[in-house]
Amino acid sequence: MESKLFNLSLTLKVIVGISIMLWTFIALFPLLWVLIMSIKLPVDSFAANPLNVIIGPNTLKQVGGLSFINLMFLCLSIYIYFKFFKSRENYFLKINNLTNNKLISFLLLILIFIALFLALFLFLNTHIANFLNNFFEYVPFLKILSKPLIGFTTKHFIAVWAENEFYKQFLNTAFVTLGVVTISLTVGTLAGYALSRSNTMIAFWLLVAALVFRALPHSVLVTGYLELFIDYGLYGKKIAVIILLVAINQPFTIWMLRSFFMNIPQDLDDAAQIDGCNPFQAFWMIIMPLMWPGVITTGLFSFLLAYNDYLVCALLLDGQSQTMVPAIMQYFNMETTMTDLVESIAAAASITLPLFILVMFFQKQIVSGLTQGSVKG
Amino acid sequence: MNKKTFLIFTMPSFIMMVFFIAIPLFLVFFQSFHFKQDILEIVEREKCDPFGCKTEILKVPVLDEKGNRSKINIWVGWENYKNILKFEDLNSIIQNNGYSWSAIQSIDFYKALRFTLTFTFITLPFVLIFGLCLALCVNNLVNRLKGPVIFITLLPFIITPVIGSLSIKWLFIGDGIITSFLEYILEKDISVFAKAWSIELLVLFYKIWHTTPFAFVIFYAALQTVDKDRIEAAFVDGANRFQRLRYIVIPHIMPLIVFVTLIHLMDAYRVFDEIVGFSAEGFLNSLQWMTYDFLRLDDSGSRYIGRASATSMLTMIGIVIILIPVLRRVFKEQKEKRN
Amino acid sequence: MKKLFILFSVIASFALIGFSSAKACENKNDVPLTSLSAGFDAWKVVTSAMEECGNFTPTLDQDYKDKIVAALDSNPSQYALAGVSASTNVSVLDAGLTRPLDDLIAKHGGALQDNQKVTINGQVMAIAMMTNAQHLFYREDILNDLGIDVPTTYDEVIKAAKIIQNAGVVDYPLGGTFAAGWNLGEEFINMYLGYADTFFDENMPAVNNANGYETLKMLKKLTEYMDPEYLTSDSTYVQQQFQQGKIAMANLWASRAGAMDNAEESSVVGLVKFASAPTTIRGGKPASTLWWDGVVIAKNISDEEAEAAFKLAMVGLDPSNLGESPEAAPWISSAFDPAPSNIGAVMTAKGGAAPYPASAKMSTLHGVLGNTLPDYLTGAATAKATLEKIEADYITAATEKGLL
Repeated sequence: MESKLFNLSLTLKVIVGISIMLWTFIALFPLLWVLIMSIKLPVDSFAANPLNVIIGPNTLKQVGGLSFINLMFLCLSIYIYFKFFKSRENYFLKINNLTNNKLISFLLLILIFIALFLALFLFLNTHIANFLNNFFEYVPFLKILSKPLIGFTTKHFIAVWAENEFYKQFLNTAFVTLGVVTISLTVGTLAGYALSRSNTMIAFWLLVAALVFRALPHSVLVTGYLELFIDYGLYGKKIAVIILLVAINQPFTIWMLRSFFMNIPQDLDDAAQIDGCNPFQAFWMIIMPLMWPGVITTGLFSFLLAYNDYLVCALLLDGQSQTMVPAIMQYFNMETTMTDLVESIAAAASITLPLFILVMFFQKQIVSGLTQGSVKG
Repeated sequence: MNKKTFLIFTMPSFIMMVFFIAIPLFLVFFQSFHFKQDILEIVEREKCDPFGCKTEILKVPVLDEKGNRSKINIWVGWENYKNILKFEDLNSIIQNNGYSWSAIQSIDFYKALRFTLTFTFITLPFVLIFGLCLALCVNNLVNRLKGPVIFITLLPFIITPVIGSLSIKWLFIGDGIITSFLEYILEKDISVFAKAWSIELLVLFYKIWHTTPFAFVIFYAALQTVDKDRIEAAFVDGANRFQRLRYIVIPHIMPLIVFVTLIHLMDAYRVFDEIVGFSAEGFLNSLQWMTYDFLRLDDSGSRYIGRASATSMLTMIGIVIILIPVLRRVFKEQKEKRN
Repeated sequence: MKKLFILFSVIASFALIGFSSAKACENKNDVPLTSLSAGFDAWKVVTSAMEECGNFTPTLDQDYKDKIVAALDSNPSQYALAGVSASTNVSVLDAGLTRPLDDLIAKHGGALQDNQKVTINGQVMAIAMMTNAQHLFYREDILNDLGIDVPTTYDEVIKAAKIIQNAGVVDYPLGGTFAAGWNLGEEFINMYLGYADTFFDENMPAVNNANGYETLKMLKKLTEYMDPEYLTSDSTYVQQQFQQGKIAMANLWASRAGAMDNAEESSVVGLVKFASAPTTIRGGKPASTLWWDGVVIAKNISDEEAEAAFKLAMVGLDPSNLGESPEAAPWISSAFDPAPSNIGAVMTAKGGAAPYPASAKMSTLHGVLGNTLPDYLTGAATAKATLEKIEADYITAATEKGLL
């Protein structure tokens, strides 16, 4: 009975398959294309024939490219990295057994990840791959393996990060994002906890206010504060932007954390209080350790809000304190040649990469965050 | 939790929301009835540049001893609102052309309003339908594929809106790859960025591309909680797949459909990043873009805070209208809870 | 351990790349300085020479005028130096954001010519380094092949465009910097000055007249021969259209002339020639405006920074530096011969084109024009309605600012 019920007919299977394939193509194509364009010379990046853009004949001729060996090593690296990533919990436990400190183990794990990444992509794929490329050129039958197939150049990324000092804007974004996430979580966990434990009318009104505030367009808030910030010398200061973004994000943070806190039974609070803890101790030592998944998820969404923001940063930051996203529009306006345009495409790819890594690492949390908010909201 | 503890815990959040959300709202309301101007004086100035010398009489800002300008706030009543809503122009247009929508859109505010509403309400059904179909499809996938598909699906949602818009723009503008492809197939010249309607379609497509993952995740999670026994019972009763969908699944996820609708309406109403990303300022206008444009420095280095505030207040009215049904339900639930 | 070593060496090598580009410079700069300016080639020439002296980070942004007043207004200023054009100079000047340069010129500005000093009531407030004007660029080979004379009026431009279109030798006969916003406003201003002399009657705008009507008609006629995406076409776009051989004629900035012969990017090296901007009335003055671009120093910085900034600017503006790239712009310098690509700007000035009438009123009108004209060109508004809207929007903006 059950098997008949949930089995799809052949037509439906085909429809499902085609829909999924179509969707993954549409979802991935623009981003993938940006990446492909950013590693070619401008002549190829803007070629009309898509095959020319992918293969990059002019890039191959002038700068060289990835050979079959390179591609193989690339796939191998991704595979190794992915396997390592999948068993990250095992490695974490192994390290923890040695250090017995969760925080240090976590940091060590991240360090190992970074080191592995660098070793694979900067050592294996460059030195060892080049060595094999050069070696195979002299072997008669295997020569074809070392022939460059796909044009590849990193000069745009180097131009963006080193010559145009995009790393400065990256550091600015990192600073703003870190500030927003930490302050948001600190203030938000306190409020979310209190709101989840209280049924009073004040709590209700606070939540309603938060709902209304969440709907406000950001430009309304910036209008109110722009002149004040400028008059008090806060124009161009990252602190001003951090505070403004935290305030804009507060309603959403409160709602999300409250729904996570509601999952933790109130009995724990009562037990802690019976044991003699004051409310704050109960909060910090009993409840918070259980809340880490919720905190991480909410932190993620705060991170996204701060990282992706354009309006507030474009109106309030400038010069040396500019963050990455407004800077890319400015970058786009800097272009006076085709090379500059490709460099702005490389900048766009650079901005997207951390988000890509974020989704890879925190896919589960993002999904649970979105659903949590909906189930209780 | 007693009241004192509650207040201490929520105080930081509450103070922050009051200071940075409530107070700016009042400031905006206040400012919308004023002009903010530099104090100006009339001076005679002789300017010599590579092309020669010229003496002219000008109005320039007064500078104090430190060399800074000072501003004054002038009460103007409804002037800012009149400048934005342009009732006289609206009346003359309606008298001359009837309710011709394209003529009314020559006034910036109505052009912005029209686009904001189109953007908000036309993308909604697509987001819901695509999100639901995607959730149903993924639900029927082999388990091994589910993870990677969800990963790829999340990407459009996570990518910075400005960057996402840029990446789609680069595919279409000028001799972009997709435009070239379409020109090759249809054998005629296509310029996507020459007409307002094609840019608008592209922007709508971007929003659907961006929000479908959100709807998908919510619906997909909800599909996991559908009561399998009921489905089986319906199957036994002879219901086909679509009847099962219509009478069991959809009512089950209806609260979530409402939730996605609400969030989407709130977010789409704020459309702004997309206009920036597509560089479509020449063609499209949205309410939040209008406010931003007044806040930007113009060519002579001034901002139009008065009109920005007026536009902000008018934008708020739309938000309140959208929120009224939601708030009514919330109040009803709270009343039921208390009784 | 090995992995950590690799990690550190990678980070170090990235840092070195940033530092290694500093070449030899006679007066090393010790004070960290920043600048904000437009991004076209002339500014690259000036700022790269300044970068060689170290401790200098230029910001090149084509939309710099959107930020310059706020940036220089903050205390301390976001940038020590700013690159201004004739009109942005008025904005920063009126707001009191730039400092007088007479003392610094006395100390370090010996190499400056007198016509480089932009004075206000006798005080030097800016150093002009180049002039600029929009003038006619044309593909000599195409015009010769089709037997067309170099157009001197816009009516001749349209006739030539028709012939070129029928011959089908290029994608579009004309290109134009018609991007919505500042560029489009500038096109209107240039064209209008071919018909009339002033935009204002006392303080009220006076463009809703026969001259304004003719200007709009001419602009629309020109768009019929352009790439349909002209509302996103700025100077860089038109420059690339020329370099890729897609257009035959355009009224483009003199500072872009040098790029036509840049072998790395251009496929039409040696084929593009320059002439004065066309006139609208036969025998009238060219429908263009004369601009200058130069350097100002912010007021809200310390005097030490200002002195260091001035000395650094002198390095950038040194005739020996500018002389290495004479085709980058019509430099104001008698120390070397102008490049052949500057002939267009020279002829436009000789023809009697007026300098851009920079003032707060003009900047406001310019902004209004840029926002109102797209609807006319796309056919969404009539000429009459457009001219009325321009004046009404100007009055609204000027009233709110207190200019009226």
